[in-house]
Amino acid sequence: MESGLSSLLSVSIDFETSHLFFPHIIHWLMGGLFALILVFNVAPFLVAVRRGERTLPILGESMDKFRFFGTLALIVAYFYLMSVVGNFFPYTGYGFLFVSMAFLFLMSLMYMHTRTKRKVITAAINALVAPSLAWFILAKLFQITLP
Amino acid sequence: MLDILSLLDITFFLLAALGALVGIIFGAIPGMTATMAVAVCLPLTYALGLNHGLALLLGLYVGGISGGMVPAVLLNIPGTPSSITTTFDGFPMAQKGEGERALRVCVVASLIGGLISAIVLFLFAPVLAEFSIKFSYVEKFLIILLALTVIASMSRNMLVGIFSGVLGIWLSLIGTYSISDGGNGHTRLMFDFLEPYLFEGFSLLPVLIGIFGIATILLEAEEGVKSGLAGKNIEFGKGGGFSFGIFKGRLTNLVRSSFIGTFVGMLPGVGGSAASVLAYTQEKNLSRDSSEMGKGAPQGLMASESANNALTGGALIPLLSLGIPGDSTTAILIGAFTLQGIQVGPLFIPENADTWYLMMIALVFANVVMFFLMFYAIKHIAKVVLVPKYILYPIIVMMCVVGAYAINYGIMFDVWTLLIFGVLGYLIQKVGLEVAPLIIGFILGGQAEVYFVKSLESFGTYSIFFTKSPIAVVLWGLIAASVAFSVTMSLKSRAKRRLEASS
Repeated sequence: MESGLSSLLSVSIDFETSHLFFPHIIHWLMGGLFALILVFNVAPFLVAVRRGERTLPILGESMDKFRFFGTLALIVAYFYLMSVVGNFFPYTGYGFLFVSMAFLFLMSLMYMHTRTKRKVITAAINALVAPSLAWFILAKLFQITLP
Repeated sequence: MLDILSLLDITFFLLAALGALVGIIFGAIPGMTATMAVAVCLPLTYALGLNHGLALLLGLYVGGISGGMVPAVLLNIPGTPSSITTTFDGFPMAQKGEGERALRVCVVASLIGGLISAIVLFLFAPVLAEFSIKFSYVEKFLIILLALTVIASMSRNMLVGIFSGVLGIWLSLIGTYSISDGGNGHTRLMFDFLEPYLFEGFSLLPVLIGIFGIATILLEAEEGVKSGLAGKNIEFGKGGGFSFGIFKGRLTNLVRSSFIGTFVGMLPGVGGSAASVLAYTQEKNLSRDSSEMGKGAPQGLMASESANNALTGGALIPLLSLGIPGDSTTAILIGAFTLQGIQVGPLFIPENADTWYLMMIALVFANVVMFFLMFYAIKHIAKVVLVPKYILYPIIVMMCVVGAYAINYGIMFDVWTLLIFGVLGYLIQKVGLEVAPLIIGFILGGQAEVYFVKSLESFGTYSIFFTKSPIAVVLWGLIAASVAFSVTMSLKSRAKRRLEASS
């Protein structure tokens, strides 16, 4: 009995595949936990959804589609263009500077609920000053690499 | 001792003070937290040395936690999750025209909480570190397991908490099994075409900045970025009315709440709201005159604010002695240490005694600066609550980008990591998974693997985790206790709900 238990617990790890040993255990753990969550949390939740007591996250909730997807699209464009423009002026940080200005202004406009002249001008000034300041402090004073 | 004095220059104190000020501003703006303040300001520390960088970050941490009291009292919105109980008594006081008095009570309580926890940190962390130096891989693995269990058992739902933690570990395993850790250098958990980008896995800081910065923005965007506060009136009431006499006979409350805050801070991954809620309910249960609490009683403010500021010192204890972050903000501090090439763990304090003392000085100094700023300039600071979000959020995204890009000296993939984890963080919070266990799992996952696999390689049996040493047995006992605690708590709350439903 004693030896049976210890042979059950003994383990040897092949060095060549040792990088997969721990991930295997994690996969089994994740799978097991996920199954438990399905049974104890997700299933009752879906029943409640069907009865109309709860709503599905994301799909069933009301959301500001314009601002949410607009934010995503702007961020993607921002990240992408930053490196594109940055490649025209290597090691200067101009890519970051110029694209940030455009990004800040557009994002501000998108988040405004009512557009008055004064608000737009504030946003424009902010869009010019904030990236310049960040660029100056980081790239010029601290010599930090920027796109 | 003289070496330390020579390291203290004007810049050091200026940075700590600046950190406290910026932190207060971040904390005071609803929806922005101390964690975000530290994450967004990280790029500023790249160029600073370790000591100066830490001064800034600790200032941000202290300021960020205490700044949350401002909107809590004035607008009934907790600026950070940890100031939720401050709204219970703070807002009624503000409505009675005692806003400034309420804030000053909060400020004094915060200072006391911060200082008490700093003392506990100073006395306790070196002891714990010395104790844990003798730990072998087996005990280190069990410590991580204990940390993850504690976080999970403090989550709203233990099962979900554990799953989130395991998911975090899984994410941390992407990349190579590093040769420098004794691995074989093979990559796993990814497609071959991603190898150039993910060879070393996801970098810690872009992941954290993405989850705490970008995800927050996405959550707000979904809600439509309400202009909300602009145009709202801030009621301060007529100044004065505050005297230190208000604290007479409240010492027990302050000290008890501070210790509660420190202790909760030590538990890994347990957020600030747990600390202040616990302190508040304790005051309510134990004090003789609790009938006014919830209607504008200063004692409620004292309990809440001393507890949430005491978190700061508490959360630093496991970070500096074991290398395990006590909350999400200290998780980012781990990143800052790594950046400077310093490994936090049992050896940190003995090997970096100067830095350790400097951190203590910065922590105490930041608390004092926080006190003076808030006590005398609160009226002016409170106005930042009204800064429109359409100005703030774009700046935050920009700072996130700078932080992510510069961390590894200009890698564009780190910026994309921001977006990946921003979206992931958004989805996680939407489907009800927990962020704190996931982050802690991500940070500790790599080490957990090395400790686990190395223990098995050298001993060749799973039973070693139980039989290695008496400490291992004690750790298993603690793990079992935290699971049992969580199960009884959930059974209790379920029974209570049923009782309420039937009555």
